Amino acid sequence: MSVRHRGDLAIGVVGGGSWGTTLAHLLARNGNDVLLWVRRKGQATEINKKHTNERYLPGYTLDPRIRATTRLEDIPYRCQAILMAVPPSVLREVAFRVGDHLRGDQILVSATKGLEDETFYRMSEVLQQETCCKKIGALSGPNLAREIMDGQPAATVVASRFDEVVETIDGLLSSPRMRVYGNKDIVGVELVGALKNILAIATGVATGMGLGDNAKAFLLTRGLAEISRLGVAAGADPLTIVGLSGVGDMIATCSSPLSRNHQVGRRLGEGETLPDILDSMVMVAEGVHTARVAHSYAATLGIDMPITRGVFQLLHQGRAAHEVLEDLMGRPSNYEIDGTPIP
Amino acid sequence: MRTADKERVLVEVTSRVLERRVQDARSGGMPLENLLNDTLFHERKRLEREAPSGYRDADMAVWNEVGRVLGHAPEEQLRDLLKRIIERYVLEVMGNFNETFYNVTSNMMPMGLGLMLNGLSPRRLLQPGSLVPSLHDSVRLSGNLEQLQKLQHRGTILLVPTHSSHMDSIALGWALHELGLPPFLYGAGFNLFMNPIMGFFMGNLGAYRVDRKKKNGLYKEVLKVYATYALELGYNNLFFPGGTRSRSGAIEQNLKLGLAGTGLEAYIQNLANGKMHPRVFIVPVTLSFPLVLEAETLIEDHLKEAGKARYIITDDEFSRPRRVWQFMKDVIRLEASIHVRFCPALDVFGNEVDDDGHSLDKRGRRIDTTRYVLTEGVPCPDPQRDREYTTELGKAISRSFRNHNVVLSTHLLAFAVFRMLRVLNPQLDLYRLLRTGGEEDGLQMTRVYGVMNSLLAIIADEEKEGRIVLNPALQGRSTADVVGEALRYFGSYHVHHVVERRGDRVFAADMNLLYFYHNRLNGHGLETRLDAFIRGESE
Repeated sequence: MSVRHRGDLAIGVVGGGSWGTTLAHLLARNGNDVLLWVRRKGQATEINKKHTNERYLPGYTLDPRIRATTRLEDIPYRCQAILMAVPPSVLREVAFRVGDHLRGDQILVSATKGLEDETFYRMSEVLQQETCCKKIGALSGPNLAREIMDGQPAATVVASRFDEVVETIDGLLSSPRMRVYGNKDIVGVELVGALKNILAIATGVATGMGLGDNAKAFLLTRGLAEISRLGVAAGADPLTIVGLSGVGDMIATCSSPLSRNHQVGRRLGEGETLPDILDSMVMVAEGVHTARVAHSYAATLGIDMPITRGVFQLLHQGRAAHEVLEDLMGRPSNYEIDGTPIP
Repeated sequence: MRTADKERVLVEVTSRVLERRVQDARSGGMPLENLLNDTLFHERKRLEREAPSGYRDADMAVWNEVGRVLGHAPEEQLRDLLKRIIERYVLEVMGNFNETFYNVTSNMMPMGLGLMLNGLSPRRLLQPGSLVPSLHDSVRLSGNLEQLQKLQHRGTILLVPTHSSHMDSIALGWALHELGLPPFLYGAGFNLFMNPIMGFFMGNLGAYRVDRKKKNGLYKEVLKVYATYALELGYNNLFFPGGTRSRSGAIEQNLKLGLAGTGLEAYIQNLANGKMHPRVFIVPVTLSFPLVLEAETLIEDHLKEAGKARYIITDDEFSRPRRVWQFMKDVIRLEASIHVRFCPALDVFGNEVDDDGHSLDKRGRRIDTTRYVLTEGVPCPDPQRDREYTTELGKAISRSFRNHNVVLSTHLLAFAVFRMLRVLNPQLDLYRLLRTGGEEDGLQMTRVYGVMNSLLAIIADEEKEGRIVLNPALQGRSTADVVGEALRYFGSYHVHHVVERRGDRVFAADMNLLYFYHNRLNGHGLETRLDAFIRGESE
């Protein structure tokens, strides 16, 4: 399905990090004109002249149908469908600025995984609050940027209550190398997509500590259980958790050395400190932030999330990995499904 | 419906419903034969339960005839049969509408109340010189009244009030009269037409008849299309999105959105027809009564085991003129006020609108709403998309109800006392608590004052955030005053006092009613802070 009503329209991508650029490349490779907003002039020039984005996707050549711009208003002015791929911490500000020029028939999709600090809003909720758009969706799934740039097959989920959003994004992104699934449960897709980054850090820590596969499987499975609890309390469909944006993304993130969150965890487990690790990384590991937000979100909803708590303590309270592990292993025994204590 | 419009309504509504159904059948939906059989089945089932009457017999004869024809009707006759049934429904819905009455409705409405107060016969009211008591002292209007008056010239208005009592219709009628607004089309249940008090007026108040016993899809569709088309013709409309009077006493949060969607449908149709004022404004209204006429019946119904509760109640307090009279007498004697609050208007998508009727996004920027309904550049309905828009609207209405819930002294005292009993009796589940009233022998007055202080402070915080409204008459009054007022109200009208003071203790004399009035403050999350306070106090 084509969303282009006028010849000069393009698909908009806001954010020139590795994921935003990868999305722009995917869209362009499918024959769409893509307008990509990036913050820095130099980066825009590089993308337009050399078709590369060396800082975020070193070594890859981008499709020449991508046009980069630093003028944010170009995006709402020229694009009928817009994907937002900026970090959670700046999404609100950027969305508000885009919102000055948006119209109600445009499609707005969040491609950012995360939750807003303090408010615990999901990214699509932020879009709803900062723009007049109603046709809003969220894109999530096991989508490691480099694998996609390498042309490897992958699948993703677009979640929206509006069929039109699902159909449009499917039409734009689907290709022999990318399968798109739809989901109506936008709450679930966004929540698990954000929260699974915490588990990626947790298994990274286990790897760094030299723990075996039993321990990792335990962390992942029980991690999913606590994510489900939070998700269901927030209105998610529990089945979404076993879908691509939940278990799917978790398998990719938690087993791949490419994942930034996994890297942070591994280095923590090896004994490095968080400030040192973050200083040496170009890109943001969203799980670091999400762990803090999820920790207080769980407290607000009155949900017990011991693994999230452990990761939070490790990242933000300076506790040692072996202490956190001892805490987790030393908890009273429970029934697996409903969590009631074994007397 | 004006007489001049009646014929076009009959023709248009009939053909819209018919076309939809024929189209639906053609594209693989329910075949016409099944639709007719289904309608017949539901109608027969309904009639079997109906008490014998001439009306029932006539209706039965019609449906038996439908059954006979349906048995061996060739394909081409099915469409005709369906058309006749639809026409029958449309005519029934339009009812016996009298244009003269419609035009003077704003004068008639307050008389409805005068009638109740005086216990006069309806006929005598129509005579010149009848005494109509002023309602100025009993009904308080608040909210953005100016906006409402302006918006009526910028589009069509769809009022969506909370519903806790049949007195709502009267209070609303009065409010609209006070604001100088024309009468609103209003789909009222058959039972109201049958009511000895209201029956006389309903047909003439812009009300059309809704028979809630007819549960078949075809009838419901006729109602919806009728309401939509009336909006398109510029008739302001009113319906209760809660569907029925709130049984629990709580402000409605789970809304029935079927009719809410008519605003959007009419808007799209108006755009497509190039109407000069295509907009439909949704105006939520909260009605707050210090005492609810039918409280006893409603809460009893709410507390019945699931499945036994009745959707339609015909034998409640409202059907007993003496009770209504007593209620009104008490309201006047106590100088109690009924609060009608008009919330800020919304567009059909749930966005707020400014006084000129322009839609605003959440950051206050103007929106071109025509964009929401374009398909390939043309305004066009899209069932899936429009359902989502209507869901958004429903959420916005619920939010308005909560944020503009006007808190009265009786709600406050009931909430405080009920929470105290709940916290002090953690071992009792709700039903046991309601049955036994807890294990304390009354609550110390000083403790009740303490909890009320805390509750008032919590409400003040919430009000600052725009999440609730404290009755302005209570602002600045002492806690003792507020409690005193509530005790006075609770000590009147109801057969059993709800809460009463004996010596230095407060007793919950009727737990069900206490629960009912307490429920009005549900959904605000007040209990978390209040319960913590009560717990702290009792330690």
